[in-house]
Parts: sequence; structure tokens; C-alpha cells
Amino acid sequence: MTELILCGRGGQGIVFLTRQLGQILTDLGRDVISSETHGMAVRGGSINSHLRIGAFLSPLIPIGDADFLISLDPSETANNIHYLEPRGLVVENSTMPSEPGFVRIDASGIARSLGSVRLENVVILGYASTLQGFPLCSNVIRSHLEKESRERIRAQNLAAFDAGVQASSEK
Amino acid sequence: MIDKINSLMYERIMTPQKSLPSMFLLGNEAIARGVIESGCTVAAAYPGTPSSEVMESLVKWKKSLGHPIYLEWSVNEKVAFETAYGASLAGSRSMAAMKMVGLNVASDSVLSAAYLGVRGGLVVVVADDPGPHSSQTEQDSRFFAWFAKLPVLDPCNPREARDMALLAFELSELYEVPVILRPCLRVCHARQNVALGTPHPTTDAGLFKKNWQRWAAIPKFRLVLHEELNQKLNKIRLTEPLAQPEKVVGNGKASLAVITSGSVSSHVRDLVETDKDAYPVDVYRVGMPFPANGEAFQDIVDSHKKTLMIEETYPVLELQLKDRRKVVGRLTGDVPDQGELTPEVVHNLVERALGRTPGEKSAPDIKARRPSLCPGCPHRSAFFLIKKVFQKAIYTGDIGCYTLGINMGAVDTCLCMGASIGMAGGVVHSPLDRENATVVATIGDSTFYHAGIPPLINAVHTRAQFVLVIMDNGTTAMTGGQPTPAHVELADGSPGVAVDLEQVVRGCGVEFCEVGDPYDYGAFESLLSDAKDYTCEKRRGVSVVIARRPCVQYARGHTSSDKFVVGDECDRCMTCIRDLECPAITFIKPEKKISINWDVCNSCGFCFQMCPSKAIKKVAEHD
Repeated sequence: MTELILCGRGGQGIVFLTRQLGQILTDLGRDVISSETHGMAVRGGSINSHLRIGAFLSPLIPIGDADFLISLDPSETANNIHYLEPRGLVVENSTMPSEPGFVRIDASGIARSLGSVRLENVVILGYASTLQGFPLCSNVIRSHLEKESRERIRAQNLAAFDAGVQASSEK
Repeated sequence: MIDKINSLMYERIMTPQKSLPSMFLLGNEAIARGVIESGCTVAAAYPGTPSSEVMESLVKWKKSLGHPIYLEWSVNEKVAFETAYGASLAGSRSMAAMKMVGLNVASDSVLSAAYLGVRGGLVVVVADDPGPHSSQTEQDSRFFAWFAKLPVLDPCNPREARDMALLAFELSELYEVPVILRPCLRVCHARQNVALGTPHPTTDAGLFKKNWQRWAAIPKFRLVLHEELNQKLNKIRLTEPLAQPEKVVGNGKASLAVITSGSVSSHVRDLVETDKDAYPVDVYRVGMPFPANGEAFQDIVDSHKKTLMIEETYPVLELQLKDRRKVVGRLTGDVPDQGELTPEVVHNLVERALGRTPGEKSAPDIKARRPSLCPGCPHRSAFFLIKKVFQKAIYTGDIGCYTLGINMGAVDTCLCMGASIGMAGGVVHSPLDRENATVVATIGDSTFYHAGIPPLINAVHTRAQFVLVIMDNGTTAMTGGQPTPAHVELADGSPGVAVDLEQVVRGCGVEFCEVGDPYDYGAFESLLSDAKDYTCEKRRGVSVVIARRPCVQYARGHTSSDKFVVGDECDRCMTCIRDLECPAITFIKPEKKISINWDVCNSCGFCFQMCPSKAIKKVAEHD
């Protein structure tokens, strides 16, 4: 059983990440349930997704249960950190250095260098996939992203994902 | 007999087909899947969070499966229901989907249809929003179903939502009543791996047979029909498996029972099943909270020392118990009367019912980022100029993205769909101080078609002196960009007829109806001034200005790629920060500088035209 919170601002692609992970897990025959934010908040407001892997009926993670908090915006981390269990790990899109409990990667910077800051969500996914205990490994996620039929989007996502994986090996 | 049909029906619906893959589906997608699998022939909806994806995914399923279902985004929920109802009388299985406040709009038709009944199975999907996260109210559509005397199913997660969509059609056809399927937001916007079944082709209950005593019943026959409806409900309550309590946790011997339904029942079960020793409780749930078998629930209450009722958002099951002396719930003040029942609230309720003082679990005070109109949103420039031209006016607002005009001080009221126009009529007829008598109403194009036309006719007829700005971005933006009646394409891309907005406005009797581009600072300001002159100075009646510019979210690729910077001429007047409120423009505190963030700027160029000190400059194209 693994539980993840993904957070950020409306428009950063949180729902996209949640959906990719859930579909991969579904294809692997794993039980998975998630919850996402829609409606007015997507106009730049605070957004989070819950993703629960295991025999859960409810899509919401209780306070203090999550194993990972993936934060695309450091100013949203504080709004969601109460979901994390004491030994849980924050994976944050930030230029600050990592510290115990927090691993950080400048996903926006890497995405910008690849041509669009919008790819920051896929960069952080690549990075997170290399972490110990992350429910899916890099290869599995990568081969899912390869299935995208629109060529330009596939190429962009793969480049962003590989850059995230690469950033991890450089640390 | 009925039980037998039902057990076969349950088996068919609940047995996943091994040959088909599971998909990770949103609750609303799972509902749409169930609708397609049932052989539904006609489906209509009006978008509204959290219901919008039901019709959107029907469009996807129709295309990917080549299913012949007819789909439409109706002009409003009342029309959506009537479309589905007409199809049902003609013999087709049909569906209408809406959010719970949409059911208020459709209620006149829905309550009458309960008496008349249906021919083809008719399912009304009504999404509730406890919280509320994206709505005006926390109303409980299960309670509404009770009021309307209609059966209502309450799924606990996406998987069950698909199953219940199929069951709802069977029930509706068997008992000849419309059936409401009520998913809460935590079902609609949850995703889960859902096993798929085989889609059935469209159904046909046979040609429409004329019978005015039923389909056009006058009051004398309504009395008979009411009695028949009551008999149907009684039969459903006593015989349908979904109306009976289902024990989901425990051996029936615990001293505490929890009775629950819907999405909150999932939180209850997850909590109790994490540690059965810590939570010695029996959990019962029901799939059909109305009409539920109250006697069977009473037996549970009577055989336990104490019973806790956990349901969202009204005490629907609780009120169906006759003897509530051993019951704790909303009616005893133990369960909160407002707000979402989150896993934390459920945890605290169960702990207290067990006689323990919970180490209260509650979310810390979070500083949620407020939503805001997108960078480059044409509503922003329209609001900026409305405020400039009509200073000190009363701004009646409406439901849509443009409700966010509150951030700019350009929306003073927000009641419900279409109310900006109706309320403006009331404000101008009240004895106001003449200085403050200016009223400007703002409404989006989709909302105008939905509920703005009768109040506009009323305003013209009563010589109401106010200015109406229709914010025409060509789409239903807030809910994901669904088409409006002004589009030439229907929901599934098939050809329709575009209904021209100006013609509708003029058809309401409006003489002053002008169209302008809110990106064009000078021209749009002068258009608003003309409207002000017509309505406020010459007092010739309501004037309508249509602010026409496509939504930035759905016009990507058609926008300019101009980049802007703030030059040294900036005197930090803060107009761009305070009055324009564009998320792309930020004040950098340490340097006391205003900066434009190119990551989010959509290059509308309005700040460039608006800057009082002409400090914002266009730079050469950036590559």
C-alpha cells in the first residue's frame, strides 16, 4: 500500500500526473483510487490530488498517512504536508538544496530549458520515479509515456521525463 | 417475481467481463460507461461542476465505440430533463445529467414526471457538492428525491457508480418511474480502476401510444397517478435489495452500529477496516437511501446499544427511522449540519460514538491560493473598463469564471444562474440615492442562454435602467469549455444551427445592443460610455454591450506571441497589481519593482494599453 499526494497550482498538470500513474497501475492489475480537484480552483488556485494504491474504498488520504508529497509549487507544500506520515518524503520543485525529509529539484528550470515550463510536471515525475519506495520505476513509466500517439507531445514528454531521471543521477 | 428478475439483473451487472480491460476512470466517466452499456438512446446535460464530465465522456464513448446514442448539451437543465423525458415517452432509454443546483432549475418538470412515470428507462444523474467546493449550496439531492417521490441511488465510488447507472435503468423501466443517481463530488472526481461490460445497442420500448389521461393528465387523474406512485415506492422499499441495509463490516454483535450511505460510507469502511480491534463496530450501508426500508433499519437500531448515522448532507436515512431514542446523528446535533464529512470528521465522529475522546484529527489552517481570472482573460479587461467607466455603480454578477470579478471589485452580487439580470431590475426599481443609481450587470454567454433571456425581456418591458454586459468568450469556460447554442457543432461534432447572440438580445426588445472587443482599450471604453449615455443619462432603458473575445484557455495558438516588460518609467502606481490583478504581473518586494512573468503571460497586451505611465513596453519577439 502506497499513498501519494500531488500538489501545486491550477494549470500545472497535477491531474495529468495522477492519471498517468493510475492508468499504469491499472494496466499492472493493481487496485488504485484517486481524487482530483476540478472547478473554480483550476483557475490558478490551490490544487491537490490524492493517489492511493491498495484495497481502499475512499479516494481521500487521511491526515498523516501519505508516503510521498510531490509538490510542483513550494508555496503549496505547507498546505499539504499534514497528509504526510512522519517518515514520508517531500519531493519539491524548488531551486533550494535538499535536506532530510525533502528532496528538491528545479523542475521549472529544467522544463524551461527544454522549451516550455509546462513540462515541469513530467520532469518531477522522472525525478520521483528514481526514489526508493516510489511505487513505479522509471522504465515502466517511460514505456507508458511512449504510447502517446501525438508525436510532438510524446517527444516533449519523453525528453522531460529523461531530464528528470538524469537530474537524479547527478545529485 | 420482481426479486427473481432482480437477482438475474444484479448478476449480469456485477460480473465483470474478463475479456475487456479495466480502465482508470473518473467517477463521471464510469457513470457514462454504465449509461452506454445500458443501451441508452438519448442523453442531454447542462455542464456544472462536479457533473460536467458525464456528457464529455459520453461523447468519447460514442466516438470510440461507434455507438448510435444521441447526445446534446442542452440550453439548461430543465430542457435537458425534458429532452430525456420526451425520449423516454417515445420508448427510448434516456438520461439527463446536471449538478444539484441544476436540479432546482429542472424541478418543475421532474416533480410532474414522477406522477406520470416513464416508458423507456429514465435516469437523472445529479452530482452533489458537499463542502461546497464549487457550488452555491450543500443541498442533498437524496432529500430532493424524497420531496419529488423518486427513487435515488447513492454510489460509494466510481466502480459502484458504473454498476448503479445500469441498475438505475432497470429499476426505472421496471417500476416506470424516473430514477435519480446521486454521486457526490468524491465519486464524480475520484478515479478508480473500473471493470468494463459490453455496451448494448440502443433500446426501444415500442412506439408512443396516445393516452392523454396519463401523459397529459388533468388534476382528476393526477390524484390517481399520485396513488400509483405511492404504491410503486412502497413496493420498491419493501422488495428491492438496494433499499435494504447491507452489513459491510462486523458480525452484528457490536454495541455500536454505524448506518451510512454514498461516498462518505467509503471513508467509514476504510477507517474501521484499518484496525478492526480499535473499532468494534458494525457498519451497515444502503445503496438506495430513498425509499429505504425504514423497518429493516429500525431493527438494526433496536438490536444495538447505540447507532451513529453518517450521511451527506441531510438526515435522509435518520428521518426514515421511527424510534430514534438510541440514535446519534444530525438530529441530535452530533454530526455537523454543514461542511463535507471528510475522513477526519468521520474519524472523530466514530471515536466519540465509542465513548472515547479522539486525539482530534483536523486539517491545519491552510492558506489556499485564491483562484483568479487567467492571464489574458478577456473578462479581466472588460471588468477593468467597466469599473473605469461606471465608477461607484452596483455590479450584479453571475455564475461562471467571471464571478472571479470579485477579486477586482467588479462583482458585488452572485446568487444563481441568470440572477445578475433579474436582480439588476430590482435594484434599479428600489428608491436609491440617484448618485448611486447606476447598475451594471455582467453575465457570460452560456449563462445568458441558460437563464438570462426571460429576465432581459422583463427588464425591457419594465423600462429598467441598467447596463448589461454579456461577457461572450464563445464557450462555457468554467466547466471545461462546452459548446453554447451559438456554436454550429453539437456535443458530438454533428452539425447544429448557431443561434446568434445579438439576434436573441434584439429579439428580447433591446434597442441598444453593441458588440466590442474588450482587448481594445479605447474602443471598448467608448462603447461602454455610449451605453452609459443611453441608459444612465438619457434614461432610454436597458442597454446591452457584448464583450466578444474567445476564452484564452480554448484559443491557444491563436493568441499573439508579444512579450512585455516594465520599463524605468514605472512610478509604482500599482494600478496593474491592484486594479488589473493579472497573475502574470507581480510586485517584487525586495527590489520594489514590478515584473511580468513570461511563463504565465498570454500576451493579450491589455496592460501595455492600460499602464497610466506608459511604462509597460512591447519587446522584440523572443525566441
